[in-house]
Amino acid sequence: MLCRGEVKTSRSPNGLGAGLGLVFLIISLIWETGTAAALTKSEENTIRVFQQVAPGVVNITTTAVAYDFFFNPYPAEGSGSGFIVTEEGHIVTNLHVVRDQVELEVTLADGSKWPARVVGKAPASDLALIKIEAPREAVKPLPLGPSKGVQVGQKVLAVGSPFGLGHTLTTGTVSSVGRDVRVSREVVIRGAIQTNAAINPGNSGGPLINSQGEVIGVNTAIFSPTGANVGIGFAIPSETVRQLLPGLVSPWPRVVSWVLAAVLVGLFVWWLRRRL
Amino acid sequence: MRAVAGLVGSSLIVGFALLLGLNLSTSPAGSSLAVTEDEQNNIEVYRAVAPAVVNITSISVERDFFFNIVPRQGTGSGCIINPEGYILTNHHVIEDAQRLEVTLADGSKWRGKLVGTDPDSDLAVIKIEAPRERLVSLPMGDSNTLLVGQKVLAIGNPFGLGQTLSTGVVSSLKRTLRARNGVLMEDIVQTDASINPGNSGGALLDSSGRLIGVNTAIFSPTGASVGIGFAIPVSTAKRLVPELIAKGYYAYPWIGATVTTLVPEDARVVGLAADRGALIVETVRSGPAAKAGLQGGTRRVRVGNRIIILGGDVVVAIDGRKLETADDLINTIREKRPGDTITLEVYRGGLQRDRLQVLLEERPRQR
Repeated sequence: MLCRGEVKTSRSPNGLGAGLGLVFLIISLIWETGTAAALTKSEENTIRVFQQVAPGVVNITTTAVAYDFFFNPYPAEGSGSGFIVTEEGHIVTNLHVVRDQVELEVTLADGSKWPARVVGKAPASDLALIKIEAPREAVKPLPLGPSKGVQVGQKVLAVGSPFGLGHTLTTGTVSSVGRDVRVSREVVIRGAIQTNAAINPGNSGGPLINSQGEVIGVNTAIFSPTGANVGIGFAIPSETVRQLLPGLVSPWPRVVSWVLAAVLVGLFVWWLRRRL
Repeated sequence: MRAVAGLVGSSLIVGFALLLGLNLSTSPAGSSLAVTEDEQNNIEVYRAVAPAVVNITSISVERDFFFNIVPRQGTGSGCIINPEGYILTNHHVIEDAQRLEVTLADGSKWRGKLVGTDPDSDLAVIKIEAPRERLVSLPMGDSNTLLVGQKVLAIGNPFGLGQTLSTGVVSSLKRTLRARNGVLMEDIVQTDASINPGNSGGALLDSSGRLIGVNTAIFSPTGASVGIGFAIPVSTAKRLVPELIAKGYYAYPWIGATVTTLVPEDARVVGLAADRGALIVETVRSGPAAKAGLQGGTRRVRVGNRIIILGGDVVVAIDGRKLETADDLINTIREKRPGDTITLEVYRGGLQRDRLQVLLEERPRQR
């Protein structure tokens, strides 16, 4: 707990603050090794990272209308995961979690439920951005980390809702990096991070986290003959998310560029007709 | 000048601290032999406590199509909890057994005797008459101070492969799980350590090698581990074991009524004053609820495509605490002991508010 605050101060851009933070960090390290008898360092790291990131991970419940044998309509529920990326309440998830859904409900870590709407879609990479109108103090965005320097063998944590079991933590290591994985006919994950942390249906859209508490990927697919975890999960690297995020947050740049293109084509046609 | 002196001073402090920090990080690496601290910990815990985990083979006799007698074997795990040879395991491991065979870590086999069992919490205690020097007992830890992310070790007998170690972390706490007879079990510990058929009754340990749970169930569409395992917390075992050893069963308090959850939608449709609570469907004749004057349902009403039984009291609070579902009522009662009195706030006939005192009795046992 003590350490958590110190890590934050050491990140501050102020030089003196950074120096002081470093001193505090080391002192706290010494203090920790002196007192922590029950838990190993690795455990303490996992616990701290989970406590840091859990408020930023959400459970997404989707409702579609289905019909039973007697054609009575009933709501068919599905569940997936997602994580908050902005203080305005933007949430990154997989497109296959939110596609074709009538109603989206987001459950935050504190148990509060919020209706959500889809803001942007990236079908080729199976990513979607949704938004909830929650007050800022309820929204805890997660930092997007670098996925370029991810090494095979480093520890990763996955937080999500496998089979609807909200805020489940699973851990493992990076099994492989830079794979191109074809998930379906239209979706290929470029530069996927492969992990042996247990990923199951319902984990989709949840974050893959490094030991610093940064998001390095979006858990998206598994390889499995059974439909459940066998130790081979794939995540979309955070670089892909970072590249697509601006376009997902606001559709205007895309609209403006299409309009511009249309105007140019129009002008060209007009010029051609004048020439003829 | 002062600023410069301050800078030099602070950089000296930083330097010293760095040195200290470096020293600290290098010293443990020297002592461990080519394994990391974490590996060392796993090895130590396994060495220390694996002998306390046993294999349990339950042998039952069935008759095949031609009425020939066919023995059937099931395997599970168990942990020795004290030097007299008492072994904690799951109820479902020993459920149908006609004979129990316990294999210790040293390979010796012993005849197990059923001491006590509790289907509601899926726990059982068996005993073997082995000499004390062959028995290693497992220290019990504390499951109330667990944290998500903490390392756990599972030792058991998956698919009959005795003394198997698997590791993982605490994935989640405070889950609920239904026992095979439909009773809700609370405070279940979820883990991603591989738990497979045969691990049932085996030990879930913390990094200090203390028992924190009894591996009981998995969530899996395939029947084998997918990284979602559940363990009964050791706190439940601590509460039950003394009574299981003394009496052979755990005496649950009993109210003698069938209850169901009243949902707001139904309450609105049928016009009840209370919108949430536990609806009394029926009371057992001369049971505690009936003696206290609680009333069961009288008429059946179809709401949508379900049938609910109305006319009974709606319990909205127990001992001054509001309740939302029938499980709230059941769980509060389960924390009491037979002979305790509870105060219920009820809506009589759905309209008039009333307060009743119920004296809990010991639940009648089947068999």
